[in-house]
Amino acid sequence: MGGTTSTAGRAAITASAGPHVNTSAAGRWLDRQFVRFAVAPTTLMMLGVFGVPLLLSGMLSFQGWEATRGLFAGEFVGFDNYQDLLTDPNFLTSIRMTVIYTALTVAAELALGLAIALLLNIDLPYIVVFRTVLIIPMMITPVVASFCWKLLLDPDHGVINYWIGEHIVWLGNPSTALFAVAVVAVWQAAPYVSILLLAGLRSLPHEPVEAAKIDGASVLQTFWHITLPLLRPYFLVALLLRTIFEFRAFDNIYVLTGGGPANATMTLSQFTYLTSFVKFDMSLGSAASWLMLLMSMLLCLFFMTTVRRRDAN
Amino acid sequence: MAALNYVGSRRGKLAYAGCVYAALILLTVVFLFPLYWIVSLSLKTRMQVFSKPPLFLWWPTFENYAAVSHSADFGQAFINSLVVSGGAVSLSLLVGVPAAYAFARFPFLGRNFLFFSLLAMRMLPPIAVLVPMYVLFSKLGLTTTRISVILAYTTFSLPLVVWIMRGFFEDLPRELEESAWVDGASRYQTFYYVVLPLIRPGLVAASILCLQLAWNDFLFSAVLTNNATRTLPVLMVVFSGGDSGVDWGSMTASGVLVILPVIIFSFLAQRHLVSGLSSGAVKG
Repeated sequence: MGGTTSTAGRAAITASAGPHVNTSAAGRWLDRQFVRFAVAPTTLMMLGVFGVPLLLSGMLSFQGWEATRGLFAGEFVGFDNYQDLLTDPNFLTSIRMTVIYTALTVAAELALGLAIALLLNIDLPYIVVFRTVLIIPMMITPVVASFCWKLLLDPDHGVINYWIGEHIVWLGNPSTALFAVAVVAVWQAAPYVSILLLAGLRSLPHEPVEAAKIDGASVLQTFWHITLPLLRPYFLVALLLRTIFEFRAFDNIYVLTGGGPANATMTLSQFTYLTSFVKFDMSLGSAASWLMLLMSMLLCLFFMTTVRRRDAN
Repeated sequence: MAALNYVGSRRGKLAYAGCVYAALILLTVVFLFPLYWIVSLSLKTRMQVFSKPPLFLWWPTFENYAAVSHSADFGQAFINSLVVSGGAVSLSLLVGVPAAYAFARFPFLGRNFLFFSLLAMRMLPPIAVLVPMYVLFSKLGLTTTRISVILAYTTFSLPLVVWIMRGFFEDLPRELEESAWVDGASRYQTFYYVVLPLIRPGLVAASILCLQLAWNDFLFSAVLTNNATRTLPVLMVVFSGGDSGVDWGSMTASGVLVILPVIIFSFLAQRHLVSGLSSGAVKG
């Protein structure tokens, strides 16, 4: 039996555990509980920082809120908070802005990310340098990245206005603010998409592409009919992750516009933040956050079933 | 590689390579310009920052960095950031690594449910968790403490640790553990003395990725801290709040100081970036 024991493992055990091997009943019982003890802290932690808070906010969302009263002393108001939200034009605007913002940023990130990944996938000398340098934007602290763009877009002293020779108030104008906010997100996330897709490109089998080449397919045909379909699973993962993360975007919007001007960048995260931590209406905020939770859960479910169905086919 | 390989004459190949390099250099210039700009502003005097046309050649000054490093606010926020991110990473490792091992090796009741909940914790919008968390923490008297921020950070760092470490545990051959059990070692001894030393690279990767996320966080810290416990990103936002009269020099200098550690960390963990970033991705 001992013949299969690796010397490294045995040495480690004898060195550390000593000659006493615990074979008592208590020891065996303890051993059987290993999985429980290993998983219990994580379970408790999740309950504490995730499960219980969510339940609390579920409760709060059905209660009236008064800052002067103690927590959970508010009276039961049924679906009033939800009704208030769903009839509040600001909230409805924030849903629309979130959808527009998410669609805009995710589309741009995937397109740009794919382009970068294809370029980085070409084997040329020193390509590694570009692979390394081009992903720097995604490492930058989002708040600092947004601040950086705030300076670039500054109407009076910003270098962008200087170059185009016009005085455009990028962040104060409802028609440009959303784009300005999206640019920061795309700047940081396109490299992220590109390394996900590059990993996919690197792992694709060579045979289909080579066979297509021998059959006389052009570069574009090969790309469109062979590479892209093979890349689809990676593309879906990138799409899923980016949609989820843009749906909840907060930092860049908060730093650049704070939801304004005239609600032009008021996404759901912004709205919930303002309701809960500026107006300090925790009940309304809880209701808004539960609606947000439900929406992102639906989003996840939708993507997961899509991925599953594609895999099954 | 294969997809875009140009097959043809030598001159054609050279022209092709030239085009690719040109495109890459253009992309690099565009993508790195904002970063270059914030670094360059941080090395200019107050006059040079606002000069028109913008200066591209000047004698760099370090006065902004000197000012920032002497500011008590910045020092305090730097320490807070260190404590809070370090605390979140340690806590997540301590709690999450054994769970990741159990996920990788043993079937148990509720395994799928627990794993799905961990994914949900990472995927759902933080603001939605933050509202109830704030309520709970204020009830417990924990708001404005660093502990509350550390606990809040585990909502993203714990799932990340479990996800990454589960992968590392799964890649580990079972034979070592099995022979340790045969030799009479308990599961705890096997885990601690045989398995943990073997997955040290995984621990390093997971900690760096978590550290990066925690260091970069703004939202949790903005809500759960006060002037004494705020972290660097919150300090940045507070200082840049006013539209006029913002000191661009010291703002950019502190910005550079905030992102420098993250960039260094990220390069250290670059090999593991992809697995870490796709953490939570649905595997079919």
